[in-house]
Amino acid sequence: MAIDQHAARAADPALGPVISVRGLGIRFRRNRTARRDFKDLFAGRHRRTLPGEFWALRDVSFDVQPGEAIGVVGRNGQGKSTLLKLVAQVLLPDEGEVHVAAGVAPLIEITGGFVNDLTVRENVYLTAGLHGMTRAEIDARYDEMIAFAELEEFQNTPYKHLSSGMKVRIAFAVVSRLEEPILLVDEVLAVGDKAFRDKCYRRIDELLAGGRTLFFVSHSDRDLRRFCRRGLYLDRGELLLDGPIDEVLARYDADHGPE
Amino acid sequence: MTATVDAPLSSRSRGPVARYLRALWLLTTRDLKVRYSTSFLGYLWSVLDPLLMAGIYWFVFVLVFQRDVGEEPYIVFLLSGLLPWMWFSGAISDSTRAFTREAKLIRSTTIPRTIWVAQLVLAKGLEFGFSLPVLALFAILGGAHLTWSAPLFLLAILVQAVLTLGLGLIVAPLVVFFRDLERAVKLLLRFLFYASPIIYGLTDLEHLGLETVGAFNPLAGIFSMYRGAFFADQVDPFAIAVSAGLALLALGIGLLVFRRTIRSVLKAI
Repeated sequence: MAIDQHAARAADPALGPVISVRGLGIRFRRNRTARRDFKDLFAGRHRRTLPGEFWALRDVSFDVQPGEAIGVVGRNGQGKSTLLKLVAQVLLPDEGEVHVAAGVAPLIEITGGFVNDLTVRENVYLTAGLHGMTRAEIDARYDEMIAFAELEEFQNTPYKHLSSGMKVRIAFAVVSRLEEPILLVDEVLAVGDKAFRDKCYRRIDELLAGGRTLFFVSHSDRDLRRFCRRGLYLDRGELLLDGPIDEVLARYDADHGPE
Repeated sequence: MTATVDAPLSSRSRGPVARYLRALWLLTTRDLKVRYSTSFLGYLWSVLDPLLMAGIYWFVFVLVFQRDVGEEPYIVFLLSGLLPWMWFSGAISDSTRAFTREAKLIRSTTIPRTIWVAQLVLAKGLEFGFSLPVLALFAILGGAHLTWSAPLFLLAILVQAVLTLGLGLIVAPLVVFFRDLERAVKLLLRFLFYASPIIYGLTDLEHLGLETVGAFNPLAGIFSMYRGAFFADQVDPFAIAVSAGLALLALGIGLLVFRRTIRSVLKAI
């Protein structure tokens, strides 16, 4: 059902790409060396690869049109989450450019901003506020967030007393209510019970139907096929294939065997 | 499919400055809320700490050593240096943990990253503000009077905020790579406490011939402005000019260091 709607608004080239990635590269140290000299630290962007460093991503380029739903495919440690973080701009590239033309709702480490000693209510206002919502906007959506997380009874409970499932529920409820045009999802949905997972999926369907752009990292073929039309296949930091999701998954299975 | 999806929010049209200030305020009040909701004495701690320290120094320097430094009433003289010192040292030592403490939040939000230092300076600054009634109380009890230079008190707050922010922006990213710096900073702060005119005044260095050298400690000029509110002859224009210049220099270097290192910091946390 959702698929038809995706197709209807998948391509609207008049608006131009909402995410534009050009020659993207980022490198990390392979191991944590004790010594690090000042010159190295202040060197900024340079193309030279230093000993003990590797490129987690290199020469990655692609465009995302508004309303597209893109799945990122690859084995562990091939740069999927790093790519997502670069698009979310919580990491900065060593070479190349990332342009994101609209606001981003990052479902990455969604419980990160929550504070143990504050109540659920205080945490909702804090996290939503840090993601850029005004007080009035949070007021208007507060009841909906609590209802979605099914935490009506726990609004004044300190966050640390919630179960781990409840913590993820309230975090997802807040971040998925940000109403930003771009949604970045990094396997957060792997947690929580089945009923809540279904609810999260319905929420993402709704957001997609409302014209949001989705950037999705997952190991689940089913989820990838359900949400995405287009796939990016990353291997050893390289973008091997950028095409329809079925083609990308077929290539991935051919390379690594079906899971 | 239900149609509960609203139009994208309008808030993104607000300026970046408004967003910066709002995030800064949210984080600062968050820390105060946590502090005051988890401890029984809450606000009293921001007053008790300097009071106890002032009591100790008063005992040592007035009763034991028969002090001949500072001015009368000494407790006002002492507190007007000690309270801002606690702001400075608290913010600097907190900034050694600015990134490690907030690592999860920094990895998941795009808030302008100087906020992680600025919020510490603001939080300690607010605590400094909350402790000012104690200073006022002792000034009234001790019979100290405001002088013509009282407005310098406000300028002192501004210069101190700039200086502390600048130094924090240098310390915070470097600690991520050089963990030893955390302990080095603690040691340096302890040294700086006695090297700064807190329990004595800048004028007390005169007979040692160290007055000019002492003025190049940016805190000397700042404390001289705070003290000017009650003791007119503590105002030292040369020291004030030096500290204002050094504060701006620290902020400039701080922003530069921060900008150059943030890429590596984000990878490391």
